[in-house]
Amino acid sequence: MKVRKSYLLLASVTVWILLGRLLNGTHTLQIATYENTAFTSYIGEKALDLRGNRTESPAFIYFFNPIRGAIDGFVQGIRNLIAVPAQNSVIPIIGWLGVVAIVAFAVYATSQWRTALLSVSLLLACGALGMWQFTMDSIAMTLAAVLLSLAIGIPLGIWAGLSDRVLKIFTPFLDLAQILPTLVYMAPIALVFMIGAASATIATMIYSIPIAIRITSHAIRNLNQSPIEAAESMGSTQKQTLAKVQIPMAKQMIVLGINQTVMAAVSFVVIAALIGAPGLGKPVIDALIIRNVGQGFVAGFAVVFLAILLDRSTSAAAKRQTSFIPLTQKQIKTKRITLIVAGILTVVSVFMSRTMLWAAVWPKEVTIAPQVTKVTNNATAWILENLTIFTEGFKDLISYSVLNPLETQLAASPWYVTVGMIVALAIIIGGTRTAILAFVLAMAIVLSGLWYEAMLTLTQTIVGCMLTMIIGLALGIWTGRSDRAERVLRPFLDAGQTLPAFVYLVPMLGLFGPTRFTAIATGIVYAIPVVVKIVSEGIRAVPHALVEAATVAGSTTRQIITKVQLPAAKKTILLATNQGLIYVLAVVVIGGFVGAGGLGYLVIAGNSKPELQGKGLIAGVAILLLGVIFDRIMQAGARRSA
Amino acid sequence: MNSGAPMISVKNLWKVFGANADKVVGSPLVDLSRSELRTKTGNTIAVRDVSFDVAPGEVFVVMGLSGSGKSTLVRCMTRLIEPTQGSMDFEGEDILKVDNARLRELRKTRFSMVFQHFGLLPHRNVIDNIAYSLEINGVNKADRHKRANEVIELVGLQGYSHAYPEQLSGGMQQRVGLARALAVDPQVLFLDEPFSALDPLIRRDMQQEVIRLHHELGKTMVFITHDLSEAVKVGDRIAIMRDGAIVQIGTPEDLVANPADEYVANFVRDIAKSHVLTLKHLARKAAPGDATDGPELAANTIIRDAAQVILQSHKPVRVNDNGTALGIVSSEDVLRLISGGA
Repeated sequence: MKVRKSYLLLASVTVWILLGRLLNGTHTLQIATYENTAFTSYIGEKALDLRGNRTESPAFIYFFNPIRGAIDGFVQGIRNLIAVPAQNSVIPIIGWLGVVAIVAFAVYATSQWRTALLSVSLLLACGALGMWQFTMDSIAMTLAAVLLSLAIGIPLGIWAGLSDRVLKIFTPFLDLAQILPTLVYMAPIALVFMIGAASATIATMIYSIPIAIRITSHAIRNLNQSPIEAAESMGSTQKQTLAKVQIPMAKQMIVLGINQTVMAAVSFVVIAALIGAPGLGKPVIDALIIRNVGQGFVAGFAVVFLAILLDRSTSAAAKRQTSFIPLTQKQIKTKRITLIVAGILTVVSVFMSRTMLWAAVWPKEVTIAPQVTKVTNNATAWILENLTIFTEGFKDLISYSVLNPLETQLAASPWYVTVGMIVALAIIIGGTRTAILAFVLAMAIVLSGLWYEAMLTLTQTIVGCMLTMIIGLALGIWTGRSDRAERVLRPFLDAGQTLPAFVYLVPMLGLFGPTRFTAIATGIVYAIPVVVKIVSEGIRAVPHALVEAATVAGSTTRQIITKVQLPAAKKTILLATNQGLIYVLAVVVIGGFVGAGGLGYLVIAGNSKPELQGKGLIAGVAILLLGVIFDRIMQAGARRSA
Repeated sequence: MNSGAPMISVKNLWKVFGANADKVVGSPLVDLSRSELRTKTGNTIAVRDVSFDVAPGEVFVVMGLSGSGKSTLVRCMTRLIEPTQGSMDFEGEDILKVDNARLRELRKTRFSMVFQHFGLLPHRNVIDNIAYSLEINGVNKADRHKRANEVIELVGLQGYSHAYPEQLSGGMQQRVGLARALAVDPQVLFLDEPFSALDPLIRRDMQQEVIRLHHELGKTMVFITHDLSEAVKVGDRIAIMRDGAIVQIGTPEDLVANPADEYVANFVRDIAKSHVLTLKHLARKAAPGDATDGPELAANTIIRDAAQVILQSHKPVRVNDNGTALGIVSSEDVLRLISGGA
């Protein structure tokens, strides 16, 4: 059975290549970037109509516009507090000194002084990079999105944790949210809620609410059931059990969920600059557009610092919850005294930041931005001059050996040949039902008129995923087999997972210039941590007895890996591939505006160019369809191999 | 044992898991074997037509191996699991019919339960764990802490009231569990394998503790266990369960002396008979040549306790049951029993 499957795959790939060569250049459905099909121009018109309706249609007047107004007001309130002056004012309500003091106090109160010190240093570094106001805007946006997400996500999560039926209803949406590339839903939201802070907040919430729901419901579901049963046996009402038993027990896990929600929100808020989110995303995009790597690094560093700050402070709060035992009386007393002192200092600082200019507005003289720009620009120039042989060599190697042939095969073959290949793949790996779904979705892309762009994006995604899997498998097997490797790599993997994908574009642009390769490399860097983690867990989950038995039987290390661990972890590896593909796809499309082209470019261009609006919206849907096709095939494959 | 009206009277109790459970009871399906029923309808019968009475102040033990339905049975009695059919009378009220508000009322004031895995709230210290049921009863903080301190003393947890469950050993945790159950001064205590998670030495201490508490407080107890020696040690009467049904109910002595079937006989085989049986069981008519003027002992004396007197006496002892002479018991009779003969 297994042998037959691989033969079938080989045969269909051969047929696909032969047909592709034979019919090369025909029926590719390629149209010029600014050309519209009847369908795309129809959607474009509808989008314009929708925009025009904003002041007339009842749906807008009574539903969308009020929501936008409320969220805008909420965000604006927080921004006025720390980031931008309100009307009739020249400075924000709290100046930089006040913000630094409040952050220090809050972090100290919820974790410990070392974390507080780190947080303050990171904040000051953002200021020194000349990014104070952008950083404050990002914090305000993140705060707004997180507060709203938690207000919605935690109650829904608790509900889904208590009721199987609710969880069943939520699950498809939660699953979809996990594979939904971020770029996909930005445009439709911006269309309804207009470019700006409200759209960015709503898009961020769509990204982070599912995470809050998932973790909260998981926390409630995985509690030790025996105290809950005991509470019930003592006559607690459901409400009492929830309030006095389940939520207190789940608190630690829920705080961890807050950390994840915050990290999701901050990474999205940065990317949401594409639809007008104020904050650090804006200078990153500006730098990417003018290809100024140095300037991009300045903003990129600020993003990284902000991400570390938010991660450390919230995860430290979660760690403090690992034990239910509170501090002793003496510890409480000491902490209380220091908190009072710190609190007074904070109040004084806030007061100063409201009354003295030097404490209100970040002093322009205190900046290292020009130096950072200069150093990184020099470094980039040096790399381009001296390491071209490596970067260009690597780029050319991949381009000529894999990228170009695959692109020719996918984009220059007739559409029906490749649709046939996708369906064959779905039948062999997933079965008939998966194949039908894949056929329908692939045909939807064909009919959308964006088949050619979809194939460009698919090429980049496949190549990115292949390279990710090669590196990810190697590192995953290594960390799965060696505790030391795990210890060494773990911090990098954790850091890699918390950083917004966007910032990786900056160094990659420096290395590879404005090409599709930059997008692919960024996707790889973004996807590797998650793939390594999944593979490593899969390898570790292989029963120890199996490995011991193989060792006693005299296997070499290589034999143990290839004949025991990899086959036993096959399902996990398929899932890792799937995850890698989805991650690479999500980033490759963002790379659309640094030269990668494809669907991502259309989505981003659609936001700013009215004549491309229809194409942009459809391109977003096409990205989703591509993602769903491959997600379904891989999931079905993983299910079958179980 | 009290011979008056029973405290609890369970009648024809059924619990069937799976969809359309109520259709199974009373149909021919109940005669199918476990696996047949499961493949046919997807149902599992966990409790099968169980009836028994518990007298006031009695320690009633339900004994069975894992999967015999004993834990389900005790949960049906407190309706942590809703039974499929049957009734359970408690103080003239069918507990299985009462509405939720009344059920909570009963759980708050009349019933208490002790769990195998303790079920303590990890985020509360000992005193607030014990006071939980009083708290949801609406007792104010000072009063519930006062009461909690009383039971803390009762179970020997003095000095631990501000410790957290994770700081305590398993045995100590179960003491908290016991104290929590006693805090509301319930009429009936349900104990679901309370000591199975403890190591053997601690388990013995805790068994003694339950016996002591029972002597001091006289609570009616329904005690679930899979350990026959534990059942014999704490139980006034024992119900042996198998595949959801009760095979036999009786005093430890009844079970050992007259096992109802092979299954029960197999169970009680390893029990030291001298620890369970009384002299009544050994008493026989004096044979010619037996001396009939030996020391006299009461018929309900456990053989183990009588052994020293009998073995040291040169003459067989006379067994007396409230004034009626039942016969005699000689050293040989005792030795034969201890060495495994009948």
